[in-house]
Amino acid sequence: MEMMLEALASLMTFESFITVLVGVSAGLLIGSLPGLTATMALAVLLPFTFSMEPLQGLIALGAVYMGSIYGGAFTAILINTPGTPSSIATTFDGYPMARQGRAYEALAGATIASVIGGLVGVAFLLVLAPPLARWAVAFGPSEMFWVAMLGLTLVASLSSGSLLKGMIGGCIGMLLSTIGVSPVGGETRFTFGFPAMQGGIELIVALIGLFVIPELLSMAAEGRSNITESGEFGKSKVGIRQVARHILGKPVNLIRSCLIGQIIAIIPGAGGNVTSLVAYNEARRFSKDPKSFGKGNIDGVVASESSNNVMVAGSMIPLLTLGIPGAPPDAIILGVLLMHGLRPGLDLFTESGVLTNGFILSMGMAALMLLPVGLLGARLIHKVVIKTPYHFMVPAIAMVTILGTFALRNSLLDVGIMMMMGIVGYFLRLIGIHAAPIVLGLILGGIAEQGYVQTMLAAVVDPIPWLRLVSNPLSKVLAALVLLGAATAMLPAWLERSGRLDKGSPSQGDDS
Amino acid sequence: MILRVNTDMAAGGFGLSFAALLWLGGTDIGRLSILFPRAILVILVAFSLLLFVKGFFRPGQRSIEISGSPWRLLVLILLLLAWWFAIGKVGFVVSSFLTMLFITWFLARVEGPVSLKRLLLWTPIIAVMVGGFYSIFTQVLNVRLPSGLLF
Repeated sequence: MEMMLEALASLMTFESFITVLVGVSAGLLIGSLPGLTATMALAVLLPFTFSMEPLQGLIALGAVYMGSIYGGAFTAILINTPGTPSSIATTFDGYPMARQGRAYEALAGATIASVIGGLVGVAFLLVLAPPLARWAVAFGPSEMFWVAMLGLTLVASLSSGSLLKGMIGGCIGMLLSTIGVSPVGGETRFTFGFPAMQGGIELIVALIGLFVIPELLSMAAEGRSNITESGEFGKSKVGIRQVARHILGKPVNLIRSCLIGQIIAIIPGAGGNVTSLVAYNEARRFSKDPKSFGKGNIDGVVASESSNNVMVAGSMIPLLTLGIPGAPPDAIILGVLLMHGLRPGLDLFTESGVLTNGFILSMGMAALMLLPVGLLGARLIHKVVIKTPYHFMVPAIAMVTILGTFALRNSLLDVGIMMMMGIVGYFLRLIGIHAAPIVLGLILGGIAEQGYVQTMLAAVVDPIPWLRLVSNPLSKVLAALVLLGAATAMLPAWLERSGRLDKGSPSQGDDS
Repeated sequence: MILRVNTDMAAGGFGLSFAALLWLGGTDIGRLSILFPRAILVILVAFSLLLFVKGFFRPGQRSIEISGSPWRLLVLILLLLAWWFAIGKVGFVVSSFLTMLFITWFLARVEGPVSLKRLLLWTPIIAVMVGGFYSIFTQVLNVRLPSGLLF
């Protein structure tokens, strides 16, 4: 407690306040640019922290991390382009809301959910770090396989109209994730003689291509912007208070999303994109009105944004206690800790307790800072998007996507892949194969493959190798959850087909 | 524009073509590396065949609609591909400036003829945009953008 108070006192300085403010603003800006990830934001900032005091450097990194994860929601809502992979699920309902002129409502909802998610993550980190870290190591390859499968049940709810088409999209995504060097065998696969393909298809490249390029093409074909002006800030019928009342009036969605975010965050390698997808899926599954998801339901935005912001602090649990980065940006923070001579483990909470607690509390401060910075930023970015004529918007977005894609690996081939995927994605959308299941397959394919192959490798002497996938209690529970998830996702479609449910409009996941 | 296409058969056909492409490209891969992709390929083929057959008997949608002008769609696709090609040949700044100016002019024509005065007004705006992003990426983010033959 003494350490906590000391840490709090070290934060209550003008210098710390400015560091958090600048960090959150810079993170928000970088996160809102498609292709520029939270990892990249932290990597860019890293050299600036070398000359800072350890606490100051960590405060800056934590603030940038928090801001960039939240910043991804801006473009996800306004132009259907997830600024960071963590915001994929935000596009499902955020963008339809923007198209209905409810952009402010979606942005305000994302902001409030992010602030709450960020604060909950910090609280979890402070209280539950050591016991949860012990639990995290119980996730072996077979459990990771089931976590990926659990995420894949979302395909069923993202399949707009046809489940089979959604499944085909998911399979295509998983196969795209296998291009390049195999994670277990180490051989190159499906590169078709292009050495540059050995690195595989980067998630962000596919994400930008499949989500942005079809939007640009449809804007060009229709000769107008896809965002309506009716949701202008001053004229918006829904204010921040009403949005806050709506979100806080449904605490179950918020609590469930935060819990999902926290549980997945402590599993190393899962990352914010998985947390937001799983939280979105569960929000839809437990909703009284699941049909409204994918068509502009604010609860979808809340689920996605609260869970991915819980992940920011939540993923620090394995990092600070075991030295295992929970998500890619955490690896950079680990580097900074090591650079300052701080080794993850018990010492970090005892000998360097003031520093560690100061860092954790600073993330809480950054989460609070999201509210003023975010609402102001939302107003500015929204105005820019609305007021820019579409003939400027299309080439400008195209340029930013080209830059963002190229900057990932300094590869022009990535730019070409992004464009080709976008063009193919546009026509696939016309025949009913939507981008969301493909992206979902691409994200979870790698995790599923690693878990599956490693389990099969360990079970090579077993009489029935695949039984190893359900050999321990945790994997049994996860497998049961997958079956339950798949059944509940398919149930509405079955009921509708058998005539026991009113035939309404098609299912969700319309990413058009 | 409305095109008469059996979307189930088209989607099933695409799935089968994609599976065939990867199947042919994965002949010399070891057991551990092909284990997972092969399982997914089999599942993809099964789903695609199912959808293709369904398209014969109970087709879902029999037409697709390209809203707006297919001509503008085609031109933008070609311009994006040309932009990508030109970046490597003449450099990011020159190719982006020219392509952006052309796309802006081409799309603005929807509202009516574009006067030379408007075009001249847009030129510095686009130059500043390209220059600004170029500076941010090269100077702040230390990303070396392709310079090609020109800049």
